[in-house]
Amino acid sequence: MLVEVAVAATDHDNDKLSPPALTVGSITLAALALPGLIGVAHADGAPTEGVISVKLQSYDDRQPGLDRIRVIAPSLYVLAPVASNWALEASLVHNDISGASPRWHSAISGASHMSDHRTAGTARVTRYFDRISVGFGGAFSEERDYRSRAASADVRWSTPDNNTTLYLGTGLTRDDINPVNGVVENEHKRSNEFMVGATQAWTRNDLVQFNVGHVVASGYFNDPYKLVDKRPRERVQTTALARWNHHIEGLGVTVRSSYRFYRDSFGIRAHTATVEGVHPLGERFTLTPSLRYYTQGKADFYYDPVYDPAIGEPYPPGRPRLSSSDHRLSAFGAITVGAKLEWRIDSRWSADFKYERYEQRSNWRLGGNGSPGLARLRADILQIGFSRRF
Amino acid sequence: MTSSRLLYRAPTRIALLLLALASQVISGCAMQPPQAFEKGNLAKREMTLGSDPLEDAFNQHVYFSKEAASGGTGVGGGGCGCN
Repeated sequence: MLVEVAVAATDHDNDKLSPPALTVGSITLAALALPGLIGVAHADGAPTEGVISVKLQSYDDRQPGLDRIRVIAPSLYVLAPVASNWALEASLVHNDISGASPRWHSAISGASHMSDHRTAGTARVTRYFDRISVGFGGAFSEERDYRSRAASADVRWSTPDNNTTLYLGTGLTRDDINPVNGVVENEHKRSNEFMVGATQAWTRNDLVQFNVGHVVASGYFNDPYKLVDKRPRERVQTTALARWNHHIEGLGVTVRSSYRFYRDSFGIRAHTATVEGVHPLGERFTLTPSLRYYTQGKADFYYDPVYDPAIGEPYPPGRPRLSSSDHRLSAFGAITVGAKLEWRIDSRWSADFKYERYEQRSNWRLGGNGSPGLARLRADILQIGFSRRF
Repeated sequence: MTSSRLLYRAPTRIALLLLALASQVISGCAMQPPQAFEKGNLAKREMTLGSDPLEDAFNQHVYFSKEAASGGTGVGGGGCGCN
């Protein structure tokens, strides 16, 4: 979610090297074909300049002794002001995916190896009024075995002093699922989302935001490529997110932090905390180290790698009605450490490079009592991008 | 102390560090909404919530495919077969 504070009535920096987002002003940028990515933005003036950004992103994960999934993803983002009160945004990403996923718990077999392609895009239009903005968006995602369509609408309202913005958003998602192994055909998933939020300019150096989201979904939630995976056909998710940006005047450093609480009807409770610091290095470079910690409890129907004594792997003892060996539903913790270097080439162009190391471990769950018997997971995430204002 | 015990405590220490950091800053920040002429720092790009949409999208895609929790930042992004 993108939120620009209510700065339309303020003086921007006089720095001619101002990066794109500074002059983007109060517009919604995040409209990407991923869950929960259409952002909450500010309601004041429409953007006066456009932005075009490209990135090449990669993700590479592995467990001990085994390379797993590799993703290469070129992506494109465009923001274009139209007339004086409209803004159009669009994004496009293509994923080349190859590797192997566990068929149960940490088990990789020959049948697990796969390659796939995913193309996803978004489009969004925003109309700006005096103190209100109204946005409509659409998104799609296409894979060989999975198709998703989404639509959204949101309203933002700013107070006359531009220090507070309230947000109300709703979205619909319709997914069609046709796995290549033919386990099921023409399955569907439907989601209805709602979110309310508030953003407050707390002081001249502090911006805070609080959002509450609710998702009611029904349909096919099983992983068709995992053996013995039977999940409920309904899922209700609730999130509460707090974000806080603090600028330290004496140092010129900006500290950005967030905390998210998550719970769902699968029985999962999760906490996510992030912190990063934007450090200027001269006039043209910034370095942003970042740290993220995530912890979750297991789903009610997740079973540990203890198998039925008569049938053996991968069947859980007693053959319960609902069960899953998906490690993503187990109890674990994860830590991401990274750094981003940004280079403001001139008043129009900028470039950035980011590296992150991600690792999951059962005993990194907060409190330490994670699910037993799972291999740790490590991943390298690389991103390189260029951006230009116009 | 063994390395396994250190790893066991790593997330707890990180959580405490984040909590201490937040507490320290909050304690010194009574709400003082700025006047229009005081918003220069708030206008900086790095103060934007979600200033890099492509980066945010990719990271959320990664986490969506590897963790059970998702969302919180907006609505209508759509789904994918990665989870």
